[in-house]
Amino acid sequence: MTTEAPPFERAFRVEGITRVEGEGSLHLVVRGGAVTEARLKIFEAPRYFEQLVVGRHPDQVLDIVARICGICPEAYQMSAAGAFESIFGVDVDPQVRALRRLLYAGEYIESHGLHVYLLHAPDFLGYASAIDLAKDHRAIVEQGLALKKVGNDLMRTVGGRAIHPVNVRVGGLYHVPSRDELLAMRPALATALQQAKATLDFVAQFQAPPFERDVRLVSLRHPTEYPLFAGRIVSYDGSIDIAIGDWRTVFHEEHHEGSNALHARTATGETYQLGPSARVSIAADQLHPIAREALDRTGLAAQIARNPFWSIAARGVELIHYCAEAIDIIDGYQRPPRPFEPWTPRAGAAGWGSEAPRGTCWHHWETDARGMVTHAQIVPPTSQNQGQIEADLRDFAPAVLGLDHEAATRRLEQLIRSYDPCISCATHFLDLTVEGA
Amino acid sequence: MGRAATTPRPRLGVVKLASCDGCQLMLLDLEDELLAIAERIDIVEFPEASTHRSSGPYDVVLVEGSVSTPEQLEQILEVRREAKLLVTIGACATAGGIQAMRNWREHDAFRAAVYAHPEYVDSLATAQPVADYVKVDAELRGCPISAEQLVEFVTALLTGRRANLPDEAVCADCKRAGRVCVMVARGIPCLGPVTMTGCGSLCPGFDRGCYACFGPREQANVASLSREFIRTGLPPVEAGRLFAGFTGYAEPFRALVTELGGVPGTTAVPHAASAADTAAARPGGTR
Amino acid sequence: MTTVTRSAIGFLPRADFQRLIDLLSEDDRTVIGPTVADGAIVYGEVRAVSDLPRGIGAEQAPGSYRLVDRGNDLLFAYTVGPTSWKRFVFPPTLAVSRSHRDEDGHVSFGPVPKEIPKLAFLGVRACELAALGVEDRVFLGGPYTDEDYRARRTRSLVVAVQCAEPAGTCFCTSMGTGPGVRSGHDLLLIELDDGFVVTAGSPVGSAILDQLDLEEASADQITAGSDQLAAARQRIGDPVVAAGLHDRLMAKLDSPRWADVAERCLACTNCTASCPTCFCTSVSQRSDLDGQTSVTERRWESCFTKGFSTVALGGNFRPRVQDRYRQWLTHKFATWIDQFGTSGCVGCGRCITWCPVGIDVREELNVIAPPPQVVLGNGKGSEAHSPRTSVFRVDAARRETQDTVTLTLSTPSGIDWSKLHGEFVMVSVPAVGSVPISISRRLPTGMELTIRGVGPASTILTGLGHGAEVGLSAPLGRGWPVDMAEDHDVLIVGGGMGLPPLRPVVDEIIEHRAKFGEVRIYHGARTPGDLLYAEELARWAARGDLEVGVTVDRADATWLGRVGVVTHLFDHARWDGTKAIAFVCGPERMIQATVTTLALHGVTSDRIFVSMERHMECGVGLCGHCQMGPYFVCKDGPVFSLAQLGDVFGREGI
Repeated sequence: MTTEAPPFERAFRVEGITRVEGEGSLHLVVRGGAVTEARLKIFEAPRYFEQLVVGRHPDQVLDIVARICGICPEAYQMSAAGAFESIFGVDVDPQVRALRRLLYAGEYIESHGLHVYLLHAPDFLGYASAIDLAKDHRAIVEQGLALKKVGNDLMRTVGGRAIHPVNVRVGGLYHVPSRDELLAMRPALATALQQAKATLDFVAQFQAPPFERDVRLVSLRHPTEYPLFAGRIVSYDGSIDIAIGDWRTVFHEEHHEGSNALHARTATGETYQLGPSARVSIAADQLHPIAREALDRTGLAAQIARNPFWSIAARGVELIHYCAEAIDIIDGYQRPPRPFEPWTPRAGAAGWGSEAPRGTCWHHWETDARGMVTHAQIVPPTSQNQGQIEADLRDFAPAVLGLDHEAATRRLEQLIRSYDPCISCATHFLDLTVEGA
Repeated sequence: MGRAATTPRPRLGVVKLASCDGCQLMLLDLEDELLAIAERIDIVEFPEASTHRSSGPYDVVLVEGSVSTPEQLEQILEVRREAKLLVTIGACATAGGIQAMRNWREHDAFRAAVYAHPEYVDSLATAQPVADYVKVDAELRGCPISAEQLVEFVTALLTGRRANLPDEAVCADCKRAGRVCVMVARGIPCLGPVTMTGCGSLCPGFDRGCYACFGPREQANVASLSREFIRTGLPPVEAGRLFAGFTGYAEPFRALVTELGGVPGTTAVPHAASAADTAAARPGGTR
Repeated sequence: MTTVTRSAIGFLPRADFQRLIDLLSEDDRTVIGPTVADGAIVYGEVRAVSDLPRGIGAEQAPGSYRLVDRGNDLLFAYTVGPTSWKRFVFPPTLAVSRSHRDEDGHVSFGPVPKEIPKLAFLGVRACELAALGVEDRVFLGGPYTDEDYRARRTRSLVVAVQCAEPAGTCFCTSMGTGPGVRSGHDLLLIELDDGFVVTAGSPVGSAILDQLDLEEASADQITAGSDQLAAARQRIGDPVVAAGLHDRLMAKLDSPRWADVAERCLACTNCTASCPTCFCTSVSQRSDLDGQTSVTERRWESCFTKGFSTVALGGNFRPRVQDRYRQWLTHKFATWIDQFGTSGCVGCGRCITWCPVGIDVREELNVIAPPPQVVLGNGKGSEAHSPRTSVFRVDAARRETQDTVTLTLSTPSGIDWSKLHGEFVMVSVPAVGSVPISISRRLPTGMELTIRGVGPASTILTGLGHGAEVGLSAPLGRGWPVDMAEDHDVLIVGGGMGLPPLRPVVDEIIEHRAKFGEVRIYHGARTPGDLLYAEELARWAARGDLEVGVTVDRADATWLGRVGVVTHLFDHARWDGTKAIAFVCGPERMIQATVTTLALHGVTSDRIFVSMERHMECGVGLCGHCQMGPYFVCKDGPVFSLAQLGDVFGREGI
């Protein structure tokens, strides 16, 4: 029809996004003020975990799946453990279950502490990295490192080490600490709780880009506890409410060209958002009273549900929640008589999920009569968020086109980082190339 | 003395190949030392900003991850050119990691089993440790590496001493800590005697056997240990499974894993003196 | 109540044991004693009797340790666990000094200030007391001393406990360190059912004993204590002969057993770490990032780690595991004595229990450096009862030489040679006497004996014909270890009457020819008329798969063969003896000459077997005549390896 002149095109290439099973790049094509293309490319070398676990014993599988992620190994261990315990019909002792929550709480404190202070706050404050931020505001960065350290120490106490804890096995744990060992963590956690509150006050003051949109928030929800490794899979708008094993009835994975990660969509092909924003919205009533009160004081609940940049506040709320819950668990702790329940292997299949700091990590496991794994499906949270990240970038990019190139680039990075795709470089990772006239 | 203002700070980069990020996270987990280290070392790339190496040269590069794609192979060759000291960190870089378990299997079948469109996925047939492709100047082992060893390495770099990274069995740390041997007192198979320590004998301290995060130590006598496992009732293939873990691709674990068929989907390949045979016909003695 | 005086023995009722703990804990002293943790009895802090392992015992074996519930009230019914007192006087890691280097380059060095705690060791066994004594010599007995050790040692009080329940791995008896406690303790407790017999071993102990203010122990209680000790001693036995072990061990630095152990040894350092006397350490520097302030840290190390013996530029004087195992064993049991005046081993058995693959030093010592009366061989002697004489019939008699006859003898039941082993039989001629004759061929119906008439009985035997009856004992003595020669080359050297005892060897080799390498048979006689089995020798040579050489000292007119001593048949030839086993029999001078020649060809003494001769009267080692050094030739021989004989062979007047 009409021959159009080559459109004014700006291509944003975002390189070095990590933790979508590794690294990724973003390619946006903007034409005439509208984003015509947004593609998130993953080029992390595939490690084939779903094949590596076939034929292995469930306890060895728990050690293996931790290695899917160095920052949230517990998410993978707990999701897998939940599935195996479902297949083998194992009820974990309540005190041991509380210890698992404690271990996972340590992971939250460490992961959120890392993200808020070292990865995301510099964006809001205009620094290229946390190291640079520390030159002007050393105390702030030190507070973040101290919080992170408490999370790590908690993981060391309950799990052996923070990265790839060694203590989780099917049926419970290998080793349960004494009451004295846990009580020794209490003073540090009490300090951490104060620091977590200060963190939320701190981030609540930030200027977040005004980017609100309708989004389908999804997370676990449990009748009595803040969702962690049990419950139902629900959406904030109520349209999704399924048993934890039924993920596949509503969601599915797709393999897109240029990506080594599988994208997830709803059955109708829609994107959705997992993570702290989803949880804080869906399970606000299950937050620890101290965290709930702090959330209310910020007045940011609505923003958290609609503006991805405010996930930093949701993380602040969860930091408070998990410091408080950890203290409660320790105060109520009685050393259980045995660290794990014995179990009998049987053939079966089960799906299970747990809430990694960055969202629901869902697994499906199948075993043979000896209990060995015959099939595994592992759906990480960040690959589920990918579609929504792409959608957000497509919708947000027009708002920053008016800024200078450098600023626009930083804003796009900040948006990606609000989804907490694990380690992202604190330095510039977005390469922006301008094509066209 | 030490680093005066006139001495430029060493330039340090961190490179990630196929890995979980856990080892480079250890650097950020040095909560007490991170800022002090950042004052004395110029951390210029962490993690690297681009998939293609365009910056350098470096005094030290820490490399995490195994070489698993053609791109990573190119990348590591360039890193080697740009780095004075190339240091591999973690089981993936030093031994191939858990993903090296696929090296025993048919790659295309593997890829097709995981990805609906395997043609979209570009990877090498095997996952290899970095030293298989380039000269490595030093290594920090572990899955993940140890914070103490990382700090010791950095300190040794700055002070000019030889880093104290002893190559001895996990048993040495167990006994120094006064831990009770899980094998002798509870019959739990433990790879500690053949594994290099660095973790502070973590797993025996948590009532389980070592599973060799730090990989085989010097002259690891895997034949004797696997014979012992088999003698106490573990089927040979299960003994092989124990060794076929995060450092199973490193020798002498690799040969034993092959011999016992430790990787699921493979069969045992016994040679002249297989562990199972020698377990049955042990030379004289009380056992 | 009679107050117990310094030299008396008190009795502490079980119900009052807490008083002892309380007394020991006075003045900020921490009591360290046995506690149950992680499946073992380990030394930890003890505040109350309930902290002690009541009713718990431990079953120990090589590579295995299991707690058991004894179901009683005893507090000390076990022996040693994985930890020793060593870690309290010689800590696993210790900051030993510190240094500082400032910005101008000035350096300074100094000690690390530390608090040494006051400790009471509750439950120290005799072997552990001995171990502390060994450590005292190591750390305090030389020109340089470990003052940290001294401080910790002097600030610790030792309450010993007598062992009532030795473990399967104990051998304190062999090492002369127990089970009785003799000295080095402050207090000694002997646990009986209703309480403890308590004695003091030092002024400090006496003071505590006074404070305890106990009733005197009764005679029955004291007797029960010594009975307990005797029973313990008996249960342990005497597994290792420590006397002379130093020299025996140092003579075996080339034993093939070192390589065998190395195949099993993991070099994991568990033995050295659990040993209460091993003291090797390494030091390393721990500094701040700038290297300005640093601490020298000492930690337990082990000679089993390869890096332990590495030198500059990467060289290593003990590169193999077998080198390092040998270093450890010879140091512990031999060179330690040269260094410190005592053995390094106290017989606690920890290295045996805590070796993951169960290497047992008692066994290794007995194989590598056996005490003299343990003889290597096939161990299959004759039946252990009074010897019997059975009737045999002469089926045939063949004259071999002027004075030598081969008798073929049989008995109705025949002989099952798979069950009976021996090199000779005692042949009885009623009213005349019994003589020992080597078996020169085994037959299902009986045997052949080649007899030279030198005395009354043997002369009568050489005159017997078909149908005559004689008495034979069962086969006696240790014979030729033909199975050891499998996969080897074989040399058979029979001088004169030395050939008949070797003929069964040739029979066996021929029957299983494929199992052996090159086989050479040499026979020498004084004259052609003295050659034995001439036709048989020719038949052997004609086979083509045996080399046969015959020589005589003095030829006659008809002799066309070799002349000379039998060694000339093989001394000139070039053959490799390193894979050969030799069986040699004949006059002792001939054996000596043969042995010398064999050695020149690389046949080592452990691969040369000889048959010795002495006056054998009873044939079963009860009359004493045939003793040769420590051996009874009839019972320990007559076949010996040269290595076994050592000095005894060729020595005049033995």
